[in-house]
Amino acid sequence: MHLGTQKNDLLGLDGVDPDTLTALLDAAEARVPMAEGVEPAPATLAGRLVANFFFEDSTRTRCSFAAAAQRLGANVVNLAGEGSSMSKGETLADTARNIAAMGVDTIVMRHAASGAALLVARAVDIPVINAGDGRHEHPTQGLLDILTLRRRLGSIRGRTIGIVGDIANSRVARSALFGLTTLGAKVILVGPPTLVGAAFTRIGAGPAMVRVEHDLDAVLPELDAVMMLRIQLERAAGGAIAADYRQLYGLSPDRMERLPAHALVMHPGPLNRGIEIDSAVADHTSRSVILAQVAMGVAVRMAVLEWALRG
Amino acid sequence: MISAPMGSLLIQGGRILDPASGLDATGDVLVVDDRVAAIETKGAIRVPSDVPPPERIDAEGRLVCPGLLDIHVHLREPGGEHKESLETGTAAAAAGGFTTVCCMPNTRPALDNPTLVEFVQLKADRLAHSRVFVVAAATVGRQGEQLAPIGSMAASGAVGFSDDGDVVASAGMMLKVLQACRAADRPFMQHCQEPTLSAGGVMNAGPLATRLGLRGWPRLAEELVIERDIRLNRGIGCAYHVQHLSSGGSVALVRAARERGEPVTAEVSPHHLLLTEEACVGYDTNAKMNPPLRASDDIRQLKEGVADGTITVLATDHAPHAVHEKAVDFDSAAFGIVGVECALPLYRRALVDDGVIDWLRMIAMMTIEPARLVGLDRQGLGRLAVGGPADITVVDPELEWTVRADRFHSMGRNCPFHGWTVRGRAVETIVRGRRVWSESLDRS
Repeated sequence: MHLGTQKNDLLGLDGVDPDTLTALLDAAEARVPMAEGVEPAPATLAGRLVANFFFEDSTRTRCSFAAAAQRLGANVVNLAGEGSSMSKGETLADTARNIAAMGVDTIVMRHAASGAALLVARAVDIPVINAGDGRHEHPTQGLLDILTLRRRLGSIRGRTIGIVGDIANSRVARSALFGLTTLGAKVILVGPPTLVGAAFTRIGAGPAMVRVEHDLDAVLPELDAVMMLRIQLERAAGGAIAADYRQLYGLSPDRMERLPAHALVMHPGPLNRGIEIDSAVADHTSRSVILAQVAMGVAVRMAVLEWALRG
Repeated sequence: MISAPMGSLLIQGGRILDPASGLDATGDVLVVDDRVAAIETKGAIRVPSDVPPPERIDAEGRLVCPGLLDIHVHLREPGGEHKESLETGTAAAAAGGFTTVCCMPNTRPALDNPTLVEFVQLKADRLAHSRVFVVAAATVGRQGEQLAPIGSMAASGAVGFSDDGDVVASAGMMLKVLQACRAADRPFMQHCQEPTLSAGGVMNAGPLATRLGLRGWPRLAEELVIERDIRLNRGIGCAYHVQHLSSGGSVALVRAARERGEPVTAEVSPHHLLLTEEACVGYDTNAKMNPPLRASDDIRQLKEGVADGTITVLATDHAPHAVHEKAVDFDSAAFGIVGVECALPLYRRALVDDGVIDWLRMIAMMTIEPARLVGLDRQGLGRLAVGGPADITVVDPELEWTVRADRFHSMGRNCPFHGWTVRGRAVETIVRGRRVWSESLDRS
């Protein structure tokens, strides 16, 4: 379903048609009670083996995939970049082929390089699910964000979603942008000019659906939801994040009040409390859907694993 | 290596092109030992009685040109022999019609002292198929911090200076390098890449890089260095050469400098004339080059620069890498592609077929123009003239063939043109009177 492969790989939301996106979201929606443990899940993936192949630190995404797989009766093996043969100089494709040769049924992978998931997908004949490749995409995060919005707002088409932060270095922003605009939502990307360039208006659905703004206060009243991104100092914005970031772009309680009454606050986690988001906002009982996003993540990953392994 | 004993060659009935003299006529060329002995109309050459009976090469319908020069290749010796060697790189060059190549100094160690310059030349004398000249490093270790011994390397045979692969980033060091090259009467060749603007960049900056999540290497990073260096060079007057132009905006900078009469030249590679950043879609690492592939508007401006004489040199930036250095993620992959074996038909496609220039001018840009830049015209290279060196390339301009990277003489397989059907090929490459490549013999 993505560039150059014939399998049910999920490498990104860029180019995925609206029917496929909707089908995945519907399947995920049906899995929500099971993901929440309210209903028992069918063992649709009994006897299957999922390889979690993570080369970057991750707690919640790795656990979320493991929980999703185990709910469906699959077993999970974990492989981390450090301590593996990768650190002995083996190439990514070689490592992936070795994992596949062990009889694994699908690879869930995260890597610091954009395009790494496609590289692995081309190297093996089992489906590959991208759990984040560099600054490129994080499609299950995009799906869980959209599912959260769809359940809370009722619809995606015609909505306006703000994404705030280090857009340039964010795979979360890209996947959300591609998925949301494909389903008819408008996206406003907000951040300092050093972290969000005009080029973003020329990707995905283009300027009709994507805007770039630098004044958060001006944008907030237009939004049905605002997605605050983690300021990722570890992804080295190269000195581009100034000391006034919090003052200009942090979501404080005062700023939250500028949002329409129905508007939601989202964050992919982990939170930098007091930097991009204040605790009073992150923990706000009616507006913040941050924990709901995490719950939706398990449902989305159940649906994606079933789609990858069963079609 | 295809070789014949020293003796004589009679190249018959070809269209003889010598851009340096403007010669463009059908006729015969007689080679005796390592020199061109005669150029006459068809059938007019009488082989002297003291010359052994010549080996005959039928050149009907073919172009008989001065041997082609490529002043920008990476032969990887010493230190990169898993990528290429002097022997394989020059075998590839010969198969592409190049009788002379100038190798870049980004080896391990860097070619930054007279001993290494002479090492490469001596080893090339023993093993190489084409002639090899050295472009030596301008700074010690190509680190940009300490001036390399430019004068003594020039005396040892270095034909030009460059830290290619890296820019001379510091303005203060650049000034010293230009002064030293001027004093040594050698050109300086700049890899134009402002390092802080292109930091981490792996493809053209813009919407496509944004979509792919790859870091951008903007046109500005190239243009800014050209502007700076042109300023620094005023009052020095070094022969300043811009390597591998990629940005359309750079063409205007070079054009303006040339119009002011400043000694500024520029080269362009086949890939920057034929491919755009779209080739990076799917993270194809064979589309990863430095400077990066840009857009169709850049190609248009580069072609304008070729058409109006702003760009005078065609050079491939032949950059072989081992398979495992490209079979990795895009960020980790090595920059560059192999170039010499398929350059001729690619230039034909980009420049002659597109009506930008004619064959005579294209051959000039692959012979006398680069030869003059690096001073090799003083040895008669880049010309086809009686009494001059018998470095000759016979081109079949209509021969159609398919580029097969797996059959390259180069050790490199990293070629985005693999599988392209192209027209035009060197069918005979003659260096110092010896047939170092023959398409007919290679086929059998």
